[in-house]
Amino acid sequence: MAASSAVGSFPSPYEIETPPGCEGWEDLYPYYGRFDEERREADEQRFWFWNSMHFPVPMPAFDAICIDTAYQALGSWQNRVFAVPPAMGIDWRCINGYIYISGNPVLDPDKIAERAGWFQQRAGYYYANWNELYGKWRAKMEALIAELDALRVPELGEYEPDAVAFEDQETSYCAVLEAYRRALRLHDVMWQHHFEFLLLGYGAYMTFAELCKANLPDIPDQHIAQMVAGLDVLLFRPDAELRRLARLAIDSGVDSAFVEGRSPEEIETELAGSDAGRAWLAELEQVKEPWFHMATGDGLYHTYTSWLDDPRIPYASLIGHIGALKAGEDIERPSDHIAEERERLAVEYAALLDGEARKGFEELLALSRTVFPYVEEHKFYADYWFLTSWWNKIREFGDLLVAHGFLAERDDIFQLSRLEVYSALDELLLTWATGGQPRGPKYWPPIVARRQELLERLADWTPPPAVGAVPEAVLDPALIMLWGVTTQRVHAWARHQEGGSELTGTAASPGVVEGVARVVKTVGEIGDVREGEILVCSITSPAWAPIFSKITAAVTDIGGVMSHAAIVCREYALPAVVGTGRATSQIRTGQRIRVDGTAGTVAILE
Amino acid sequence: MSVTRSLDELRQADAAAFGGKSSTLGELIAAGIPVPPGFAVSTTAFRSFVAEAGLEGMIAAELERMAPDDVDSVGAASHAISQAMRFAPVPDAVRDEVARRYAELGDDVPVAVRSSALGEDSQDATYAGQQETYLWVRGADHVCDAVRDCWVSLYSPPAMTYRARLGAGAGEPAMGVAVQLMVDAEVSGVMFTCNPVSGDPSMVAVNASWGLGLAVVGGEVTPDDYLVSKVTKEVVREHVHAKEVEYVPDAAGRGAVRVDVPEERRAVACLDSPALEALVDLAGRVERYFGSHQDVEWAIARGCELPASLTVVQSRPVTALPRRSDPPAATSAMALVMNAFGAGVPKER
Repeated sequence: MAASSAVGSFPSPYEIETPPGCEGWEDLYPYYGRFDEERREADEQRFWFWNSMHFPVPMPAFDAICIDTAYQALGSWQNRVFAVPPAMGIDWRCINGYIYISGNPVLDPDKIAERAGWFQQRAGYYYANWNELYGKWRAKMEALIAELDALRVPELGEYEPDAVAFEDQETSYCAVLEAYRRALRLHDVMWQHHFEFLLLGYGAYMTFAELCKANLPDIPDQHIAQMVAGLDVLLFRPDAELRRLARLAIDSGVDSAFVEGRSPEEIETELAGSDAGRAWLAELEQVKEPWFHMATGDGLYHTYTSWLDDPRIPYASLIGHIGALKAGEDIERPSDHIAEERERLAVEYAALLDGEARKGFEELLALSRTVFPYVEEHKFYADYWFLTSWWNKIREFGDLLVAHGFLAERDDIFQLSRLEVYSALDELLLTWATGGQPRGPKYWPPIVARRQELLERLADWTPPPAVGAVPEAVLDPALIMLWGVTTQRVHAWARHQEGGSELTGTAASPGVVEGVARVVKTVGEIGDVREGEILVCSITSPAWAPIFSKITAAVTDIGGVMSHAAIVCREYALPAVVGTGRATSQIRTGQRIRVDGTAGTVAILE
Repeated sequence: MSVTRSLDELRQADAAAFGGKSSTLGELIAAGIPVPPGFAVSTTAFRSFVAEAGLEGMIAAELERMAPDDVDSVGAASHAISQAMRFAPVPDAVRDEVARRYAELGDDVPVAVRSSALGEDSQDATYAGQQETYLWVRGADHVCDAVRDCWVSLYSPPAMTYRARLGAGAGEPAMGVAVQLMVDAEVSGVMFTCNPVSGDPSMVAVNASWGLGLAVVGGEVTPDDYLVSKVTKEVVREHVHAKEVEYVPDAAGRGAVRVDVPEERRAVACLDSPALEALVDLAGRVERYFGSHQDVEWAIARGCELPASLTVVQSRPVTALPRRSDPPAATSAMALVMNAFGAGVPKER
């Protein structure tokens, strides 16, 4: 990808300064994750964009495991299994705690043709056997999660249990390290499963979208998405269960317990005082497995816990639903209408095409609908259910380190890289075995404290959407399919490098709304959103469902028409513009903005 | 012999006798499309006018003498023929019939008098804009004068040059005329039943401006520009421009005059979503009836409610559509998916 100055420019990654007081941020990350002098010549000529979709805030040292493992897995499938002809995998680098990524293209035409042979055979097999393979996939994920749940982190006692002495059970130092290695391995396997179908799923959908645009050049993206999107999507199930529980609360006369401002504990205490309340709580327990494994964010940080860990989110939603029901509102998803509209669009667009084009349209729509359940559901299994459980498993190792004075709090473990945790466990096990004096209790706490401070400071820095060279064209199918990073988008970023009062993105849900912006950078801030505000965020996850009934429009930094924010906004009939690249850095809470979800623009009015 | 017919009695088969515009209006009425009522004057009326005035020899001689590539020569021939026609009387039989039909439309009502040439509005050749339209005409005598002016327009320099270029293929020139009740247009414009720029068949492209349609058709304003989805009726693109002039009836209600649009109305969008929905609905009906993409002139009348206020004043096939950006010549959906991944041309493993 050659540099092109005609379309603006991005800063060089080597010219970006460390914010004051953030010196030494590099120590949080592996040696290969930096823009180093050795690779300067090559790295400056490459196009790197901030992956704010997955890594919107500075990366804690432990959480960086998600970068490595995700790109090991993506690269393996894309490059070594399917051999996607023009693109290998994704490289990453870190600037001030933020993750920038760049694709590795295949340029040699012979090599592309060779890879095409492998791709046709292997991807063809997956498409031909999709439903069967996806059925197996779900079983694999559920088995993996069960294995994670069953994983025990041994305690280190004064004396080893009798089983070690009399029954040949392995010693605790072996067992602790084995448990940690298994935890890491389960995480590797999760990412392996996560990416198995992802590119192929998005690829089928993108092909359908391209066929639509070749024959219907002005078709809004959202109509394409509406024709493909599933009706009975797993990700909508948790909120559907909450709506059912809300109705149950009213029907069984316990709704008065759900008062705005009460904590989940207070509500549950009141409910536990009556038969009807206890029956409701029993029903809640039924719903929790697995539907409360929703994450409070998009999954790739330890801070994104599940509804089980933080019941305030489902309870806020329950209070909202009960209030709406009592006010006589209809809280159901208009699923009949969505289903009718999905079919109507498909039939009417097909009728506008003739011959070959109509045949291609109908076949690709059918294929897209076959692959899409995976695209929509993998998030629940992998990003939410597995990862929130897995972070909790890592917290159990944190507990072990706390118990022996290496750390002050269980979550401090996330300030250590995965290799540093291994090292700390090694020392803990050595000194526990020998009875010697560990250095860890003096060594790690200051490092943890400094890193916590660094992450807080780095959170105030605004990363540019891209660095390095502006590519003439983005050709990498993975970047286009998974991140929505198209030539047009990148050139718009380059043009807007200097800022301006209008942002452009993808028109994701139609309509025009003016209102007050609420910029939400982390999930912890979603409680601040007020009725009638416009949500401005990096990306949303399905766990944010409760706030969509409050807001009047949504704007995101990254994402395409199939992103969660886009899907939910269409359901709630709220205008949405996604993939603006810089909404959260350009817009401030309290500003009046106008969101044009039809044109894909956001104007800052004051 | 009758030389006029009510518009609603005409069909495409009458194009040879009444010209393209009148017969198309008849088809639209048959399709249930709202069209202002009126009548058509046949090409026979034109021929009897030329014959009774004894102009045939003179016209033939002028054409014989004319050098089609020489602007001055065409201008001189046009002037000579036009002058002769303008001073020739409309035959009494024609005059009586026109007066009777006009009286049937109402008492001293304003009408639009439009030429309806042979071959006009056909898919092969677009005569669009080369023939005259006279708006806001009142009184039988003035209507007859306007009919004759339409006939004269057959020998305007552009029309003559155009026919000369077509050669023998142009056939014998003859002119029909359509006379329709005038629509007091608050807004009017043109719409295509597809996007003429991108070729997208799922879109209706609408241009609209204040007043009578003249300003849009004649390119005298930059109209408001809308692209609306036929499937969902959503406005996909909208550009509102400053519309500086409009055509309105003159103070006496005889003839249309060009006036400045008051400052405060210029940048106001002249269509709202109910109006756009009505237009898109109408576009679909016209397209389905003719079975091809159409270029439709429409008007929205002042002082009455949609959809009754919306009428079509003419429709013709869209002649030149862009080729859409190479729809992939795929053999199967799977081949298209393989192309998307750059695996279109594999080497055998």
